[in-house]
Amino acid sequence: MIWTTIFLCGLVTFLIRFVPLSGVLTKEIPPFLKNTFKYIPLAVLTPIIVNDLSIIQNNNLYLMDNYKLYAAIVAIVVAIVSNNILVTIFVGMASFLIMSNFSNI
Amino acid sequence: MIKWKIFKQGVFEELPLQLGVFPFGIIYGVMAIETGLSPLQAFLMSSIIFGGASQIVFLQLLSSGSTMGIIVTSVGAINSRHFLYSLSMLEFLKSLSLKWRILLGYLLTDEAYAVSIRKFMNEPNKQFIHFHLLGSGITLFLSWQLSTLTGIFLGGDLPEFLDLQFIIPLTFIAIVIPMIKSISTLFVVISSGFAALICKNLDINFWIILAACVGIISGVLTSKMDKKL
Repeated sequence: MIWTTIFLCGLVTFLIRFVPLSGVLTKEIPPFLKNTFKYIPLAVLTPIIVNDLSIIQNNNLYLMDNYKLYAAIVAIVVAIVSNNILVTIFVGMASFLIMSNFSNI
Repeated sequence: MIKWKIFKQGVFEELPLQLGVFPFGIIYGVMAIETGLSPLQAFLMSSIIFGGASQIVFLQLLSSGSTMGIIVTSVGAINSRHFLYSLSMLEFLKSLSLKWRILLGYLLTDEAYAVSIRKFMNEPNKQFIHFHLLGSGITLFLSWQLSTLTGIFLGGDLPEFLDLQFIIPLTFIAIVIPMIKSISTLFVVISSGFAALICKNLDINFWIILAACVGIISGVLTSKMDKKL
């Protein structure tokens, strides 16, 4: 099951990269369609971020003591300022660990 | 030996980017083991799929119990931008043999494209420029495999309290934020985020695809009023 999924993902990814190079596409891609491509990664990654922060749990908004959410907000600010993947991950993780381990003091 | 010279140029121009790629590969390797993949699955995924962000999406969806269809669609969606890279490289590579185009298509990733398309456009003599993409592509490939292996070895030995699953959304935040460059991209993020909250709460199992569609549509609708942020 996992192997099949890996192979299918590999096949799809290879085809995405190879089909235009293969020259089989004879028609021009309409600019309207090209325009949508640039939105796809954002539109897939954002829902995953939102889901991982568990903002809603058991039909209730979970905002109080949601350290992942707070740390994510810190990470967003760091990402805007630093524009660096590793710095963002590091500061986000550090702020999450500090909040979740020292919140009772 | 002009071919060798262009190949080496591709390698050397690709190397600095490995400062970002290598740690990312380690993160992937660690996460893959944490998610419960076997070391062999974790390692081979890096050459079968060979796409950083999409491999981490794979892990996230697998651990949250998504179906095979959802995982394959999402991985395809993440990598769909490579379609445009490939399209823009066609004019430089169309005279090559099929074997060459299969190899270069396989090696066509964000980092290799970024470095080599510049060479393609600026080099007046286009005869051997494909060796540049071969150099940058192979460099990235080797670095990705090696960093994945490093992550796999580290995998089981990291302390519990780190809550490594949290690295996934943090990584995606670091990828998404720099991509918000205009009003329409901001709308994509806000609308797909809200849609995800609502869809997930309604227990729709293809929530991620649905939320992505909402995001893309609102991006297209707002693209007319686009301004740089």
